[in-house]
Amino acid sequence: MPTGPFGLDPILWAPLRLVIAVVLALFLVLNGALLQIYLERKIQAVIQDRLGPYHVGPFGLLQTFADAIKLIAKEDVRARLTDTYFFLAAPALVFCPMLASWVVLPFASDIVGADLNIGLLYLTTLGSMTVLGIVIAGWASNNKYSLMGGLRSAGQLISYEVPQILALVSVVLVVGSLSMVDITRSQSGPLVNVLVLPFSFLVYFIAALAETNRTPFDLPEAESELVAGYLTEYSGMRWGTLLALSEYGNVTVVCSIMATLWFGGWQGPGVDAFPLIGVVWFTLKVYGFILIMMWIRATLPRLRIDQLMSFCWKGLIPAALVNILVVAVLALAFPNTKVPIAIASWLLVAAFVAGIPLVQRRRLASLRARTRAAATPVRAAS
Amino acid sequence: MRFDFVEPLVFALLSLGVIVGGAAVVLIDRITAAALFMAFTFLCMAGMFVLLGAETIAAFQVLIYVGAITVLILYGVMFTKYGDRPYALFFQRQTPLAVVFVASVGVPVALFSFTFTSGTPPRGGGDLPSLATSVFTDFAFPFEVASVLLLAAMVGAIVLTKREERKETLR
Repeated sequence: MPTGPFGLDPILWAPLRLVIAVVLALFLVLNGALLQIYLERKIQAVIQDRLGPYHVGPFGLLQTFADAIKLIAKEDVRARLTDTYFFLAAPALVFCPMLASWVVLPFASDIVGADLNIGLLYLTTLGSMTVLGIVIAGWASNNKYSLMGGLRSAGQLISYEVPQILALVSVVLVVGSLSMVDITRSQSGPLVNVLVLPFSFLVYFIAALAETNRTPFDLPEAESELVAGYLTEYSGMRWGTLLALSEYGNVTVVCSIMATLWFGGWQGPGVDAFPLIGVVWFTLKVYGFILIMMWIRATLPRLRIDQLMSFCWKGLIPAALVNILVVAVLALAFPNTKVPIAIASWLLVAAFVAGIPLVQRRRLASLRARTRAAATPVRAAS
Repeated sequence: MRFDFVEPLVFALLSLGVIVGGAAVVLIDRITAAALFMAFTFLCMAGMFVLLGAETIAAFQVLIYVGAITVLILYGVMFTKYGDRPYALFFQRQTPLAVVFVASVGVPVALFSFTFTSGTPPRGGGDLPSLATSVFTDFAFPFEVASVLLLAAMVGAIVLTKREERKETLR
């Protein structure tokens, strides 16, 4: 009889492994969401010169646990005119792809659910499925604010998927693999990919902010205009699944992609001697990005929907296409060294940053012209 | 006991999903539900690609059809705003005609599929390197023709919407 790991029959081991992986992923998602909500409140409080949660537990650490228990114990309220099946299905449709994408995240050299050879493609695929659930949530709520949120979300997520995937392509071109484990292994030294491809990282970071509905791209749930967007009719644990678990889970997945692709994933000092330290490095890198996202949320105002769309289609997508072109040409021309790619990529970053004031000045000029044009007839009439 | 029984079982479940989902897309009279069933059918198709060892094609199937096309259809449904009332399409009221058409296509397909024999295809035919090589060498010309066609369609769509806009401003 063949034996699998731990002397178990493979027929027993296969389902057992599945259960362990799913339970572990659920555990990480649930606790990660609790931790991130706490961090989000505390960091915003610090930035806004407040105290934040401090009543429950030391430093308010147990506040989110109390909130989670409240959410679970809450009555399941459902408006009568909502579309029953779709309304119930939407949180699951948002949550399941997010949970499934945890399978390919490499936490340490051997701690990965499945080392798929198309891991990166799998992650982008699941990221694109989230849109469906959000659109369905907006539609099923039978409420104009929800519908507006769902429509905005569909437009925004489909648009920003394009630069996001285009930014990933340049990394794949340089590394030559779609597997998350291989991509991490290719950056074993201090020369991580962000030093070679900073421009694609910049594009991916901006697109990822939009993909996860974070400020300044949180239009689908803009509190001040749309009540809560597609979340308006949801309450209790359905709201908790849609917003807290799925949003923070998606943020974690996106930050893990950034840590793996551009910052070497689990690689760090001491990993060769003790492979388990990789988990610590990976977690530190991921939470570093999460903290930057929270900082941005507390700092930047929200974009308008037309600004959002024109920024994506006129700014990010051409930039990402130019980036792919440059990286592909240089990778073909100099197959043995990454230096030309790095120089070109840093030049692109410089050009992008230098271009911002020019665009802003043109925009300011057009705004002034419009104000003047609007002011003239009033003066003539009076 | 081995895992040999798993693959036919999964195949049976997936084909059941494809057939039921596809039938529901045509028969159901609520257009949003039909769109969701379409997404379900596409997902089952992706599962079939995984069974065939073509994970890349499965991923693209989900990425493009579930993630983009279904969402665009739902987007269109929401913009047309006729509400979510039951709505019988013209072909859902013409049962005798539909039976004739389905039989004229279905009988040859059934005859073909029951008499079809073929050797087992090579494993990993939809794998990324082999897919990329075949697209950019053997099938480079059809690939380019398809992309030019899509580009023309996109430009045409943009031109059409632009013309509509001008008419409205003239009015």
